Amino acid sequence: MVFSSIPFLFFFLPFCLILYYIVPYEYFSVKSWKNMVLLLFSLIFYAWGEPVYILLMLFATAVDYCNGRLMERFGTTQGRRKIFLVCSVAVNLSVLAFFKYADFLIATVSGIFSIPLKPLGLGLPVGISFFTFQTMSYSIDLYRKEVPMEKNYLNYLTYVSMFPQLVAGPIVRYSVVNEELHKRKIKKEEVQEGLFRFMQGLFKKVLIANQVGALWEEIRALEAGQASVATAWLGAAAFTLQLYFDFSAYSDMAIGMGKMLGFHFPENFQYPLSAISVTDFWRRWHISLSTWFRDYVYIPLGGNRKGTGRHLRNMLIVWFLTGLWHGASWNFVLWGLYYGALLALEKYVWGKALDRLPKIIRHGYLLLIVVVGFVIFVFDDMGALGVYFSSMAGMAGNALWGKECLWYLQNYMAVLLAAALLAFPLYPWIKSRIERMGDGIRTATAVVSMAGYVLLFLVTVAFLVNDTYNPFLYFRF
Amino acid sequence: MKKRPVWENRIKTATALLLAGMVMLLAVLFIAMDKKEFSENENRYLAEFPSVSLEKIKSGEYMSGLESYLADHFPFRDFFMGVKTKAEMSAGKREINGIYIAKDGYLIEEYEKPENTERIGKILGSFAKELEGQEVDVRLMLVPTAVCIYEEKLPEYAPVRDQMETAEIIYGISGIKPVDCSKDLLAYKAKGELYYKTDHHWTTLGAYAGYTAYCREKGMDAVSLEEMTAQTAAEDFRGTVYSKAGDYGREGDPITIYTNPADKLTVEYMDTGETTESLYNLEYAEEKDKYSLFLDNLHSLIEITNENADSGRKLVLIKDSYANSMVPFLVRHYKKIYVFDTRYYKQGVSEFIKEQPGVTDVLLLYNMNTLDSDLGIRGVY
Repeated sequence: MVFSSIPFLFFFLPFCLILYYIVPYEYFSVKSWKNMVLLLFSLIFYAWGEPVYILLMLFATAVDYCNGRLMERFGTTQGRRKIFLVCSVAVNLSVLAFFKYADFLIATVSGIFSIPLKPLGLGLPVGISFFTFQTMSYSIDLYRKEVPMEKNYLNYLTYVSMFPQLVAGPIVRYSVVNEELHKRKIKKEEVQEGLFRFMQGLFKKVLIANQVGALWEEIRALEAGQASVATAWLGAAAFTLQLYFDFSAYSDMAIGMGKMLGFHFPENFQYPLSAISVTDFWRRWHISLSTWFRDYVYIPLGGNRKGTGRHLRNMLIVWFLTGLWHGASWNFVLWGLYYGALLALEKYVWGKALDRLPKIIRHGYLLLIVVVGFVIFVFDDMGALGVYFSSMAGMAGNALWGKECLWYLQNYMAVLLAAALLAFPLYPWIKSRIERMGDGIRTATAVVSMAGYVLLFLVTVAFLVNDTYNPFLYFRF
Repeated sequence: MKKRPVWENRIKTATALLLAGMVMLLAVLFIAMDKKEFSENENRYLAEFPSVSLEKIKSGEYMSGLESYLADHFPFRDFFMGVKTKAEMSAGKREINGIYIAKDGYLIEEYEKPENTERIGKILGSFAKELEGQEVDVRLMLVPTAVCIYEEKLPEYAPVRDQMETAEIIYGISGIKPVDCSKDLLAYKAKGELYYKTDHHWTTLGAYAGYTAYCREKGMDAVSLEEMTAQTAAEDFRGTVYSKAGDYGREGDPITIYTNPADKLTVEYMDTGETTESLYNLEYAEEKDKYSLFLDNLHSLIEITNENADSGRKLVLIKDSYANSMVPFLVRHYKKIYVFDTRYYKQGVSEFIKEQPGVTDVLLLYNMNTLDSDLGIRGVY
């Protein structure tokens, strides 16, 4: 069940929220009825998409919960605690390796040694990369004594399975929500803000991401040579916008629902397409993932503190893993290494020179890198990737410019323009300007935004009812 | 930051309540409202409530069934579909759900990339081979659709795929003698509308143009329209492309039908056992899918006898719905026409031809737009 769907929006979410608000925190001696409601709905949510693999999630969380308890009970020294940490990480990584990477490994091995091995053909459990990373953060933080042990398994399961962030992030660490998990205030203003945030995410997903996504699908379907250079670039730009709006819309909806439930999830995107360097981009794109790798892999490996050689090695490892995290396919690895290389180049070669260039040029440089990068990201078939790149370079026997490009521009101009504007921090800028203005203007703006919300909501529902293209892009993560 | 003005807060709260209220209202209406079984507008049966079973839950089939049920029975579904189209059109889209918003009030279905050209050619060729040695004259007529004939009406820069190129490939592979009516259709453009503005079929005039092409190829004298009696069977036909595009509020098309006073017909629907004297079932003129009035919509086999035909020849017509509006012209020339819809007729048409004495002609007629996905083709051979 995707958030941007009729069953979720009109049935699952309202039912869940009503029940959630009705039940008290405490009744009889049960500590948190609200958590139980949340858990119940989260399990239904996950089982809806993965009726069988839900057992896997229950297993992974049970392992980490038990490890946590054992670590606290028997881990009198850091050395002993490490045993339980290794155990937890090993189980999580094995689950991930088996269900996500086994076939990839089999295909690679059989390719290299040309032995015909049969793939396992297991379906990928939705959200596996997100929830294994979350539970690992708990074990590691507990080992580091940065979080207290979770005593109650159901609370722990509530944390991991929490439906707003279960299948598409942000990767919420236990340390971030541990207090709210046990005690939180649900404030009217925050519920309201959460609702607005959720709606903004919904509008972004349905009215922008799905639309530019449809454009990308149309261009992608063209045969090589049919797409002019301009069209190929338009397609790559459309996919970039699709991925950004889709992914950040999911995060908006997750953060919004979190607020409605009384949780504060971390921000996951900070206008990454307005960045002015690759380093800047990765501080703004999928923040919860890059900080996860930073805190649990890069820094433990020594980060940049042990000489250039070690630094480069560490970057190689982290960016190889970051790429691989996005999917069991070589193009994702290539995509990760591409960014690793660019970050190293910015750090050691042209970073200083880049800083002296005008902002607009730095911005153009970054956009070029991002758009090319997402082309690597989208084609898991290296042959198709090569063909698309040759279309972009005008080496597929295609023209520089064609009538089909005008057709796409005419059909998608409005949504592309809206997407381009919203990719920059225009909305928060306007908001902060208005907040400094007089009461009259602020009230008038509130009325306008009311009309805007209602109108966009109706149009969004119209698109959902007539649902021709509403993909879930993260099934490979 | 300054303190928020009281009214701003109130309006924000009202906005949140309004949004939450709309969600709840639509959910309640969904539960309370009567569910339609059939969508007139989309001309299809809507999804049924899925039945529960452990297997279906394990495979996820139950959940996806429930999701289509919810989407299909959503309150004010038609209204919302219209809103979507209006929103897309005002954002500059000129192609919606595979329909071009064309000039002169036309809605024209796009021609999707054909995937099965070779396979279709081979199936048709195998069928023709089956008939080798029989005394029958086999013809293949692949009819271009509006997207080809009315190319100039398409929105500016619209991509066009050449239908006749695909048709040529199929003619070539199948080895059957072609009847190319594209030039005749182009020549008839000045005489009136050849395709419905709101449906994917050709009009009766379009069918007549196709008929003249067939007569020319066969060396027969086409009956002129003046010799026939014209009648307007329906005024406001809003067909399939109208529904697909969802741009409601457009005017419908008239449907004209022709009868030749000289013919004396018996029309037997072999699957239902009904017999009439007319090629039309005007009850359909009152319904949404008015094109069905030609030859009573779908039948696996129809046997048409014309006692006053100008020859004793017998025709086997294997076709899709495009032929239904051409049959009224063809009956003049054949004592008997056997009309097959191979989506439903499964016993093998070539067997039928071999067993039925006196079949002299075979015409295979399909439109180019649905040919590629036509399941009936597989029933030909």
